[in-house]
Amino acid sequence: MTTTLEHTATSAEPRGGGLARHQNFGTAIVAGVILAWVGWFVARHLFWSGSDNWSDQVATMTATGWMIGFWIGIGAFNAPFRWLVGNDNSRDEDLYYAGYKQGRARYWKYTTDHKVVGVQYIILTMSLLAVGGILAMAIRTELIVPGTHFVNQQVYNSFIAIHGMVMILALIVAVAGPWGNFVMPIMVGARDMAFPRLNALSLWTLVSAAFLLVTVLAVGGLPVGWVVLGTISDQAGVGMDFFAMTIVVFTVSTTVASINLITTVITMRTKGMTLDRLPIFVWGTMITAVLALYAFPFFFVAELNQILDRTVSTSFYVASGGGTSWLQANLFWLMGHPEVYVILIPAVAALFEISSVMARKPLFSYKTAIGAMVALSGLSALVWAHHMFTSGWAPTLGGPFMVTTEVISIPTGIFFLVLVGTLWRGNVWMRLPTLWMFGFIFNFIVGGVTGIYLSDIPLDEQLHGTMFVTAHFHYIFVGSVLFGAIAALAFWFPKVTGRFLDERLGRYSFWLVFIGVQLTFGAMFLSGLKGMPRRDASYSLAFEHTNFISTIGAYIIMAGMLILLGAIITSWRKGEPSGPNPWHANSLEWQVPTPVPLENFLEDPVITQDPYHYGEELVRP
Amino acid sequence: MATSSTKRSLTRFYWAWGILTVVGVVLSIWLPHRYVPRMMSNDGNLSLTTMILFSVLAAPVASGVYAAALHIMHADRYRGEGVPPAAEPIRENTKLLVTWLTVSAVLTVFVLVWGLGALAAENSTSGNPLVVDVTGQQWVWTFAYPGTHVVSNELYVPDNREVEFRVTSLDVTHGFWVVNFGVQVDANPGVITTIHTTPDKLGTIEVRCEQFCGLNHAFMDAIGHVVTPSQFSAWLSSQPQGA
Amino acid sequence: MSIADIEPQSEMHGGTEGHHEDPVKVDGRQRVGIWLFIGADVVTVAAILFTYLYLRGVDTAGHWMEMEGYKGNLHTYAFWENQYLNGTLANPKAIYVGTLSAGLQWLTAGLTVVSAAVLWFGEKGLRATKNAKAFSPVAVVAMLLTLAGVVVSAIQLRDIPQIFVAVNDSITMSYTTYDSAMMAIVGSTLGHLVLLAFLGLGLAIRSARGAISGEKWYQVRLVRYFWVWVAISSVVTTLITTSINTVH
Ligand SMILES: [Cu+2]
Ligand SMILES: [Cu+2]
Repeated sequence: MTTTLEHTATSAEPRGGGLARHQNFGTAIVAGVILAWVGWFVARHLFWSGSDNWSDQVATMTATGWMIGFWIGIGAFNAPFRWLVGNDNSRDEDLYYAGYKQGRARYWKYTTDHKVVGVQYIILTMSLLAVGGILAMAIRTELIVPGTHFVNQQVYNSFIAIHGMVMILALIVAVAGPWGNFVMPIMVGARDMAFPRLNALSLWTLVSAAFLLVTVLAVGGLPVGWVVLGTISDQAGVGMDFFAMTIVVFTVSTTVASINLITTVITMRTKGMTLDRLPIFVWGTMITAVLALYAFPFFFVAELNQILDRTVSTSFYVASGGGTSWLQANLFWLMGHPEVYVILIPAVAALFEISSVMARKPLFSYKTAIGAMVALSGLSALVWAHHMFTSGWAPTLGGPFMVTTEVISIPTGIFFLVLVGTLWRGNVWMRLPTLWMFGFIFNFIVGGVTGIYLSDIPLDEQLHGTMFVTAHFHYIFVGSVLFGAIAALAFWFPKVTGRFLDERLGRYSFWLVFIGVQLTFGAMFLSGLKGMPRRDASYSLAFEHTNFISTIGAYIIMAGMLILLGAIITSWRKGEPSGPNPWHANSLEWQVPTPVPLENFLEDPVITQDPYHYGEELVRP
Repeated sequence: MATSSTKRSLTRFYWAWGILTVVGVVLSIWLPHRYVPRMMSNDGNLSLTTMILFSVLAAPVASGVYAAALHIMHADRYRGEGVPPAAEPIRENTKLLVTWLTVSAVLTVFVLVWGLGALAAENSTSGNPLVVDVTGQQWVWTFAYPGTHVVSNELYVPDNREVEFRVTSLDVTHGFWVVNFGVQVDANPGVITTIHTTPDKLGTIEVRCEQFCGLNHAFMDAIGHVVTPSQFSAWLSSQPQGA
Repeated sequence: MSIADIEPQSEMHGGTEGHHEDPVKVDGRQRVGIWLFIGADVVTVAAILFTYLYLRGVDTAGHWMEMEGYKGNLHTYAFWENQYLNGTLANPKAIYVGTLSAGLQWLTAGLTVVSAAVLWFGEKGLRATKNAKAFSPVAVVAMLLTLAGVVVSAIQLRDIPQIFVAVNDSITMSYTTYDSAMMAIVGSTLGHLVLLAFLGLGLAIRSARGAISGEKWYQVRLVRYFWVWVAISSVVTTLITTSINTVH
């Protein structure tokens, strides 16, 4: 017990902070805009305007200026600079960075406290979902009847790409961001993440990237689809440069966050928190982080190559120069499939956690559940080419990739066994998290089964590139991951706010979103079966009815999500008080007071058994 | 630790499983027939068969999970006030786990064997195909017939003879998809990709672009026809002998 | 009670330099962090090498080092631009300008390896003698060696041959796929070396100012781990690019 708290040391305002006292979200935006302008101005004069690449060079410099300015403005460079000159933070300064006695203002600063970062991730996720959701509504509105009526084709083509990428970003952080940061360190008995400053870094780099991604819409859009295939993105304007820069920064953010999560689990566990007593959610986030660490460098390199192609005329993906967009496709999907599990696993792991608490029963097959998540991650590195079955690339590899892909259904099946096995014969507490969990089970079956169709090459040659694929992964991303994320939000909301998420509004929201998902994506399957390609701004009369249903369903989802937003806002402000452990759960995050004090624990906890000992003898230390 | 709950009736669960399975099987057969376009080649027929087969296989599995979920909601839901008491702790059930793994492994192996077999069937070739050069460009398809000078925006193929499509693009990547043949392959600039299939029914077919390719991607369609061999030769010779 | 009411009541522990935390714990934690970072960097370098090897594999006709057969013309880009603007060059044309000096990579790799050896040597001295003041100049030497590597890489990047392409009304330049992949590799080396120079400078300043001492030397070891990995990766990369370059 080396870290004892010294409450008495600083009761007054911390004196430290220095420059950081003047740095916040506002200064970050201002500095970002200023340096973006500087980058734009310098690039316009530095580069020869007769070149084909001039506009891309200017855009890339502008985006770089924005990023660097934003990071200076928020204070990301303070610590590296002070490390360089050997002038490390004093304790008061560390306290200042942790947000000590700064009230609400610390949510808008480069704050190192993991709980502040967790709340910042909640807000970031909700903002991204809002942007992506508005774009989804525009897309569905355009598709309500055949022909182009509401948004023109060029705008529509941009919307599908930005909708895709924004939602991917939102879902990657939807569970691992808020809860991997807010509750995970408490769950393992740590006082903070292993690297608190890196935690702030990963959050704010992601914010800077998210802003740049949305800006793409204002600079000519990105009419290329979110996978930015090498050949078509070559035709895109400066929006593509902003997009590539977004990805480069985003991958750095994810890498930093992953290193932090893994190190925290490996080195910061409290006494007695052995690996076989770790809450399953901790296992889930750690496995996810390992997978992300492996996957995202490929995306980083894929987009760096693209930036080089566009700014200095290299030939990585340019057919006329001897390059090939299959290289881009390989690098993209080497990231792309693991990324699906980076999105999925945290949501599943959170549901495992919730299922045990709500069924008042130990988690069923704990070790098998861990094994399934590990197997899924391992396999996901070996399946990327199933996205290229019909691309013409390496037809001889189709068979092997089909094998690895279909083997994935075995660990995925385990997820159902664990969830259903835990709930089976429990005393199931039908609260909001439970309801969304049942929604997950229903939708994940649909998404999973339809995935098997697409892994079968002869069948994929009919269904690939159609609305069937779109429906399939929306059942996974919306029907499963978003449901899991909302269940996690409803479950841990009391820990963050000290209040319950409104049960009544939450239920209205559930039923609307659940029914909306079945209508929207159920009908979308039929559009796909009928032969409607995805990413089409218009369609023939044959697809009329199913698209109409999809659009109506989308509006119902929107209504449900707005009600959920209302529930979050009202509950956060004046919801029913919950106390520190409303679900009477055993894991550590429920044993600390709400609001959680700055360093979580007054005394380091000692663990004697896993948190799933419902109905079992208590082990006394 | 035998409690009263061990003796609870599972009759409703089995009924639900059975009924849902029947519904699933009916949907598995009806939906593809109702919604998939008319399949007019060996590969197309194979796609449809595979789709129905996989759906029928999935029906009992999915129904089992749904029935279990419904049963939990009905029988295991805590109806009292406040926090439910702890349930009987069941941490492992080796028999169930082994059964589950075995069933999913057997199903996976079956799906794999079926798929690899179908893939092999699809890849086998008669050795004497009719070659059609397919070129995609923003946003039209053109079809050329080597050995002739015929270039057309409509696709004509004879029935009961293998066709080999040699596909390329002049600009960006397109996706050449003959909807009624159940085959597709990307059209890449600078590369020729091939697919082959054997039409087995006469009639009109649709070609669509299934790889996003820019502004008018949604309108990059072509019409095609499967005709008899004699009609096909007549069509070839009636065409203007373009460059 | 809402979120605004949450007032942190207690203190936090130190960051990089723990104030009341066991340095051994901090060291162990940072060591795990640096190994994970190296792991991510391994994947990044692997992805860049994948790019290189893929492009080489694709171009079986051997064109990946030259375009349209215009090889080895050593005139500069500016020369052809002038020709074009004077109207003496017929359209359309693709002219290959210069050749890449892949051998320079060995110089960079050598400098990196030597700098890593110097740092390691300095670290051993620091641990043996506990003399941080003596370590500072060693870190400076290591940093200067990496800066020399930065200069060599920059020269190599500058000299990567361009292709002058004139088609009708537009003139552009381009790179062969080989040169493109080399640009990514050399650029990645340069980026790594800049990072090493930053770390070396930091170690030098910190040891001079007492932030690194005979007792608190573990940061040097953390930096050395990364440094050695960069040295290894530069040797491996250079081996690949100099042994697997042409298509036979
Ligand atoms: Cu995938
Ligand atoms: Cu197209």
